Amino acid sequence: MSDSFRSVAGRKVISRATARDLGVVDHLLVDADQRRIAAIVVGRGRKAQLVDWAELSGFGPDAVMVGDDGALRVPVDDRERASTEGKLDLIGKRTLTEQGNQLGVLVDVTFDTATGALEMLRVGDRDIPAVSLLGCGPYAVVLDSGEEPAP
Amino acid sequence: MTASQINGLPVVTVRGGDDVAEVRDVIYDPEAGRLVGLTLNKRGFFAGRRREVLPAAAIHAIGRDAVMVLDETSLTAPEDAPEDVGHPATERNVIGDDVLTEGGRSLGVVRDLAVLVGSTGQVVGYQIDKPGGGQGYIPLPAQLAVSGAALVVPDVTEEFVRDDLVGLGAAVDDFRARLGLA
Repeated sequence: MSDSFRSVAGRKVISRATARDLGVVDHLLVDADQRRIAAIVVGRGRKAQLVDWAELSGFGPDAVMVGDDGALRVPVDDRERASTEGKLDLIGKRTLTEQGNQLGVLVDVTFDTATGALEMLRVGDRDIPAVSLLGCGPYAVVLDSGEEPAP
Repeated sequence: MTASQINGLPVVTVRGGDDVAEVRDVIYDPEAGRLVGLTLNKRGFFAGRRREVLPAAAIHAIGRDAVMVLDETSLTAPEDAPEDVGHPATERNVIGDDVLTEGGRSLGVVRDLAVLVGSTGQVVGYQIDKPGGGQGYIPLPAQLAVSGAALVVPDVTEEFVRDDLVGLGAAVDDFRARLGLA
């Protein structure tokens, strides 16, 4: 099934083992090389935690199910810390082509709830296949727009 | 786009999506007709100069909105950069030069460099202030000789003065063909 980053924000995160409410999804952390979701970020700021995609038992329309409570973990590197500060949230970020030209704001991203693989990126009113994703960071999302490089 | 429009652009990593610096100034080699590199500032207001430079070989592309590099290792310490980038010669600035034809007619004064968008710094022409007022563009390769005071260009260059960058694009090819370079 397909879902989108925008609709996932604010969804409950529930432990399958204990049925405890672990918080809500703030945003999704993307692995640009693999073009998939690396982790979900639960909460924002100093108390924010992550759950690796592999620890999820189900990504449903009403709740994100986590194997058990222990899957919540603190950020371990600079990238994950930047993520818990909200700096790597793709939604609303400017997009740049590999050639250094702006395309517009990233409005939404769709993904496969079974695998976490990204499907389409919505930039302005255009849909761009996720294979075009080259990198994402605090300043911009970088895309291969199919522009010919200048000689 | 012009060189002065490149100044202040963010330098962004393709893989990291991070703005690691911004362009302070372009380093131009008038004999080669291209940018050989960029000097850098730190990002943000009042952040000051960055010691590293960006040699042309490390530029992924110069676009309208950003200069792209693969990652932060593209920024190079001056001592590790090519000599003309790490320690650029002074007195090589063509801005303000009088553009003179071989026949001794002035076409104007160089105001800025016209840089090919999406390239790593290819200069395709000069923006000039025309003697009678107004601005124009002349295509490269035009000069036969260059100094800190003047550019000497073939007489035929006068036919290829254009009013805007769009016109310059077409004129570059025609001009090169006329000079037997295409």
